[in-house]
Amino acid sequence: MVHRRNLFAGVRGQAVTHQLKEKFMDKKELKQGMKDALPIVLGYLPLGFAFGVLAKDVGMTVSQATMMSVLCFTGAGQYIAIGVMQAGGAIITIIMANLLVNIRYLLFATSTVPYLKDRVPPLTASLLSYGLTDETYAVAMNHYQDYPATSSYLAGLNLTSHLGWISSSLLGAILGSFITNTDKFGLGFALPAMYTCLLVMMINRKSDIYLAVSTAVICLAIGYLAPAMMGNLSNIILATIIGATLGVMINGQH
Amino acid sequence: MDNTSIWIMIIGVSLVSLLPRIIPVAVLSRYEFPAVVKEWLSFVAPAVLGALTALSVLAPQGKIDISFQNIYIWAFIPTLAAAVKTKSLFSTLLVGILTMAVLYNFIGF
Repeated sequence: MVHRRNLFAGVRGQAVTHQLKEKFMDKKELKQGMKDALPIVLGYLPLGFAFGVLAKDVGMTVSQATMMSVLCFTGAGQYIAIGVMQAGGAIITIIMANLLVNIRYLLFATSTVPYLKDRVPPLTASLLSYGLTDETYAVAMNHYQDYPATSSYLAGLNLTSHLGWISSSLLGAILGSFITNTDKFGLGFALPAMYTCLLVMMINRKSDIYLAVSTAVICLAIGYLAPAMMGNLSNIILATIIGATLGVMINGQH
Repeated sequence: MDNTSIWIMIIGVSLVSLLPRIIPVAVLSRYEFPAVVKEWLSFVAPAVLGALTALSVLAPQGKIDISFQNIYIWAFIPTLAAAVKTKSLFSTLLVGILTMAVLYNFIGF
């Protein structure tokens, strides 16, 4: 009993030291976050570039295209904006479509809370969640399986990824007329390859594999039956809700 | 769309993309979730990745395309093998990108 209490005190002591250290930038954690962001940046390069090119085509200035990537960090949403602008649609259409496309982050952000809570101060965590995307989410959640969350890691990961998104948009808006086909470099497969690897790394429990496969099938089935949901990516939300519920049910049986 | 409208659009999109990311973290950090909710949330990440992987490979242009002509399915096979074998993001990315470049440039998809 005494031993256990001492152990507990030890763990708590460590947590306090850790929190004190976290008040300053933890360089090692920051570097790790930046390093983990590199594959994401590679994947964003062709996407941000293409956004810059298209934004320019549809009549945005270089500074507008770049600022859009600074203020909004939503690949799908930004492409939708371009599409609606091209079709001569209204601002409100763009905003409503973006609300639909971004609503899934309510779910993603909520699922990071148990990891961030008590480790990253709420204000810092909220501000850094600005940089939450499908990719930074997947990488961070994978990291949290083995290491505790820290402000510095999250800052390194999210800010580097965002910077990659901003600079590739800028490059696209400036150089758009010179490079037209980025497909031949194979970069179009960067994000699918990243998802594949993160999925493989994320599978720890047997139930994970069943739920990943069933969510994938459900997501495609919804997309097939309701193309409109595919268009605004709400099939991801519905499939995830069903999938996670199945996961709890399968896990509960053991 | 004139200049002012574009700026208004950018700010509007910024708000609706920012708020869903920030609000849960800002509001929910104060509460302790019940165990079953925590468990449910722990399944969100693998579920999302299953969905994203499937969509990015089987519907690369936004439409479901399960056919021999879908170059992404071919590139997925060595990529999955690399992911299982190396469990390294960088090696997997390298295999995926190189395979895609080879398929695109030499096989003539």
